[in-house]
Amino acid sequence: MKNYIDFVADASWNTLKGLWVTLKFLFLPSITVQYPTEKIVPYPRFRGMLAYDAELCIACGMCVRACPSRCIALAKAAPPPAPPPAADGQPAAPAVKAGPKIEWYTIDYGRCNFCGLCEESCPTKPKAVWHSLDYEAVFSTREEMVRRWKRGDGPWGTVKRSADAQPSAISDQIHIQDMPVRK
Amino acid sequence: MTEETIKPLSEPVYNHAHGRLLLPGTRYWPTDMWKSPWSLPTYRRGAAVLAGLITGGAAAAWFVGEIGPRLAPLYAAAEAFALSHDIPAFWISVVWTFIKGAILLLAPLVNALFAVWWERKISAHIQSRLGPMYVGWWHGALQTLADGIKLFLKEDIIPDCADKLVHTLAPIVVVIPAIIVFAPVPFGSGLVFADIDIGTVYVFAVGGVSVMGIIMAGWSSGNKFSLLGGLRSAAQLVSYELPRTFAVLPVIMLAGTLNIAEIASSQAGYWGGFVPRWFIFYPVVGQVAFIVFLIASVAETNRVPFDIPEAESELVAGFNTEYSGMKFALFFLSEFAYVLLSCLLMASFFFGGGAAPLPFLDFLPSWAWFLSKTLLLMFCFLWFRWTFPRFRVDRLMDFNWKFLLPVSLLNIAAGGLLIWLIS
Repeated sequence: MKNYIDFVADASWNTLKGLWVTLKFLFLPSITVQYPTEKIVPYPRFRGMLAYDAELCIACGMCVRACPSRCIALAKAAPPPAPPPAADGQPAAPAVKAGPKIEWYTIDYGRCNFCGLCEESCPTKPKAVWHSLDYEAVFSTREEMVRRWKRGDGPWGTVKRSADAQPSAISDQIHIQDMPVRK
Repeated sequence: MTEETIKPLSEPVYNHAHGRLLLPGTRYWPTDMWKSPWSLPTYRRGAAVLAGLITGGAAAAWFVGEIGPRLAPLYAAAEAFALSHDIPAFWISVVWTFIKGAILLLAPLVNALFAVWWERKISAHIQSRLGPMYVGWWHGALQTLADGIKLFLKEDIIPDCADKLVHTLAPIVVVIPAIIVFAPVPFGSGLVFADIDIGTVYVFAVGGVSVMGIIMAGWSSGNKFSLLGGLRSAAQLVSYELPRTFAVLPVIMLAGTLNIAEIASSQAGYWGGFVPRWFIFYPVVGQVAFIVFLIASVAETNRVPFDIPEAESELVAGFNTEYSGMKFALFFLSEFAYVLLSCLLMASFFFGGGAAPLPFLDFLPSWAWFLSKTLLLMFCFLWFRWTFPRFRVDRLMDFNWKFLLPVSLLNIAAGGLLIWLIS
């Protein structure tokens, strides 16, 4: 009889515990987000799509050498023409403003394994190539997987087609890329 | 990797902004949200909306006031109208009954529309999801309507090896008792379709007829899963009918009547001015009777954890495997109608029907209290459904015959003892 009562009491207590757990989760905010209009921001160490800044890049090629899957390629820019030698009694001509030190830079996301070695090896400060928090990597063809910056383009990724260099604006969505990313 | 194959990004990635604040509306990782849910603006807004719904509903109920007492003058006016226009009073009573019947017919239908949506929302939030969010203007409120339209448009399939007549008849046999069983059930003081003295017996008798339809559905489908589901359902429903009826007996003994509306109204008043004289507050007997009735009601409505007749992981869908379109919807309708019925019965047997829980709260009409008690109990049904795993068949029978039945029988004796002590 005592066993029976103990069993019933134990079962009831466990039942109530289970009910308490579900009640608690009922009143907590839900994990699900409504994806196209709401987006979860990953933690800062998340390794998302590689981003690149041509203004900072010194075209040293460290990232190309560090990449284990050989997905980065770049070409150095020709050095700016040297200023003409100063004539007597005149100040030296001002140095030609150096543009980006790089001619073109490509990353093949089809090969990239998101290891982060290119970011690690980049010597500039802040990094010229880094993992952003962007996880919306959608491609419909293999060619699209290769992202490219070349001389004359705007900042990385702002150009729809290289023929008309119109930057596309962020319109109605919160973008992952707007989050703080650089270390 | 020639230059011709290279395409630029389609979206902006460039970002120089250091330490920029996260934009408003940004969702953090959920475990961060759970640490302090009240710091989320959406959470605060949700709580405010919930509080607003409750207060708004209470205000609306207060504004409408009691409906029951207004019906008698209305009927008298109709009779006077009939007298002055040489219409026999008999026809007025016929029309009156038809109007009442139409309103009663709406109760299970509207209940099914609401309960399916509510169940989906509660299941979603218990599992940290959102559930339907797009159909309708607010949180998928019209999702059930959209699903109903979909079910109307679906093809009605009758399998080749099915017994066509019985297969067609089964959902009708299930759903008609589920609707007419509401006749003696009160929805508030004076709001009862048929105020008959054997209301309790009628409810249990008519509610039992639906088992017949479920067995018919299981047998006529010509499918082994359906047949197993029907047989399990028959065994379960017949077994759990016993403790369910026995659990009500102490209440009937204490109230001294079988009329459900009178049982509800016999619980009016308060002990010591603040403890309501509801049957659930009678020491031991009331609580045990309520728990046994609640468990047996969950089993009677074939809901988790007692859903072995339609156990998805074992029997596909049990007795309604071979049903599609509106026939399937009728089974669903009757399930939720029985949930509503059980909640209404519990509200009137154990929670005082339309009585306010505290004396100063009786400015709200009785139908509002009835409705809120019913909804709270219905929430319990949905809560159990998404908490407990399913019983095994033999354990289910063990639980009924070795626990619920002896306890409910002892409870009848205890109820007699209580009456002897009181008198």
